[in-house]
Amino acid sequence: MLYLELLVQGLIQGSLYAMIAVGLTLVYGMLRILHIAHAGLFTLGGYLAVTVMNATGSLGAAALAAMASAALAGMAIYRLAYQPILDKPPFVALVASIGLYIALEEVFRLVFGPYGLAFAQPPLQTPVAALGLSLKAGELAMAATALIAMAGLYAFANHTRLGTAWRATVDEPQIAESFGVNPVRVRYLVFLIGSALAGLAGLFVAVLSNQVEPTMGAVPSYKALAIIVLGGLGDVRGSLVAALALGVVEAFGTIYLGDVLDRDALAFAFMIAVLMLRPQGLLGGR
Amino acid sequence: MMLKRLLPAAAVLLALAGAGAHAADPIKIGFMAPLTGAGASDGNSAKIGAEIAVEEINRAGGIAGRPLELVVYDDQANPAQAVPIANKLIGQDQVVAAVSGSYSAPTRAAAGVYQEAKVPFISAYALHPDITKTGDYVFRTALMGEAQGRAGAKLVGELLGKKKVVLITLQNDFGQALAAGFKSAAQRFGVEIVGEYEYSIKDRQFGPLVAKVASDKPDAVYASGLFFTAGPLVGQLRSGGVQATIIGQEGYDSEQFLKIAGAAAEGVIITTALDRDSSSPVTQRFIADFAKKAGFQPDMVGASANTAVSVLAAALKEAGPDDRARLRDAIGKVEIPAAVGAIAFTPEREARKAVQVQVVKNGAWHHYAVIDDAELLKP
Repeated sequence: MLYLELLVQGLIQGSLYAMIAVGLTLVYGMLRILHIAHAGLFTLGGYLAVTVMNATGSLGAAALAAMASAALAGMAIYRLAYQPILDKPPFVALVASIGLYIALEEVFRLVFGPYGLAFAQPPLQTPVAALGLSLKAGELAMAATALIAMAGLYAFANHTRLGTAWRATVDEPQIAESFGVNPVRVRYLVFLIGSALAGLAGLFVAVLSNQVEPTMGAVPSYKALAIIVLGGLGDVRGSLVAALALGVVEAFGTIYLGDVLDRDALAFAFMIAVLMLRPQGLLGGR
Repeated sequence: MMLKRLLPAAAVLLALAGAGAHAADPIKIGFMAPLTGAGASDGNSAKIGAEIAVEEINRAGGIAGRPLELVVYDDQANPAQAVPIANKLIGQDQVVAAVSGSYSAPTRAAAGVYQEAKVPFISAYALHPDITKTGDYVFRTALMGEAQGRAGAKLVGELLGKKKVVLITLQNDFGQALAAGFKSAAQRFGVEIVGEYEYSIKDRQFGPLVAKVASDKPDAVYASGLFFTAGPLVGQLRSGGVQATIIGQEGYDSEQFLKIAGAAAEGVIITTALDRDSSSPVTQRFIADFAKKAGFQPDMVGASANTAVSVLAAALKEAGPDDRARLRDAIGKVEIPAAVGAIAFTPEREARKAVQVQVVKNGAWHHYAVIDDAELLKP
């Protein structure tokens, strides 16, 4: 029974990691930039969700605010921070991204205060009893949202013209461009989708812990990196599998290996172990 | 040539003029706290608590007619910042003494600098044992972690009569000292530890831990944490179906904990430093002043920083600001009613005071008990 509960908790946590990591892996796949500032968009989504929810009482409005603010900020980061340095070596963008993330943390602290925020009336707190497990409505909602978002993303990439253009740009940018695909439009699209998902993840974390803090992006920022490395850099499907696997490893690890390794060390131990056996990532075939 | 000869004379004149102004010059007290970064919330509370103490002393005429001045620096909870700050406060600002409103790591790093320079230094709420062991110029106005842990065991086993306990420990100096103290006294109060887990200060999602605790079926959970980890932990324990009494410590002690944990906070009991229902006029005045200045309810951190500055002021009144060795001796002899209740020091320069036990009732902290067992609480 405990094992089932730990497995479910691991998958729930993994679905959160997936929502954050997908944007990171999309950006890496397209631009070869390790987009650390992505975690700042996750924080932004959380803050906007709590602020809008407390002001309006509407969870729908909160979700919209979280996604829209993160998406706009994500596209702005591309336009203002990354586009001017795309022809520089990759570490330039990495340094810019880390700097941007640290600056964002301090902006949140200045704007929203150092104490963090909490929902006045936390939404989705109803306990749900299923299969003898005690879960919270928010946990189920997060897992379901992640599932729907990933399915939607898959359908979009494979069954729409824009999706085809996008995949073409990732695989063969020059050829795609010669076929009339506008690569800049596709890049904005990638930042829009990835950032909106990160914003939504921020909302769910706010719901589950009923708090947002300036530094809440710090752990996701590097854990998502471990995930995209595990998934085979730039491989969306691989990242999803890696996110869920890491969630489950952490769930069991915190209980049974907690004395030896803490949760974050576990993520990297898992990453190193997998890379030793499969340097191409969990699903990679190269 | 003429000018060159005149210069030293002018300097002497200036120095004399300076000495003349001496009486009205403020007495400077150094203060460091994390005002940016992850510890900024505690740093902000500590700063407000310290400022309230300074304002109150100055309203009452200062120290022998001279006002107190707090010289504040942001250490970002970083030991690498704390050392240059200590050097700056001593060398450039020429403070007579200093207070740390910061955590253990920076406080420990700074303590060595103050000891070396023979400048009295008070740790308001940083609990690492080595801080006061640095030397005879370093004091602490909070109870050490182990003493608080032992008080927690007494609270659980004797006052509450709960025997099966799960220990959830924050992986840092603070959490580990509490756990060590709790375990050392558990047997004495008939407490059996049926499960023991650790978590990192960065964790906010406790799903797997909650599932395991629920399966342990304890009577009580002794969980160390700070408000930003304890809030989500308590909320998730309750929504995960754990109904056992939750015992926390002074890290929970803030208004923000109540906001984060919401309804789940009801009935949580903590060992801390600030009694909201205290009959002491000093404590009540602090609570009112803090709420007015800060715009939110006071916390343990604010009360501790306030106490540290008050202790220093009381010693300054006794010994004056000119001889730091005398000031040090006077701090050791201070016995005053402060925001955290009556406080004095042991020969090890640790606080001698009672543990305040508070419970959450109707969404606010209230008096539950006082643990004042000198044998149990000695450092």
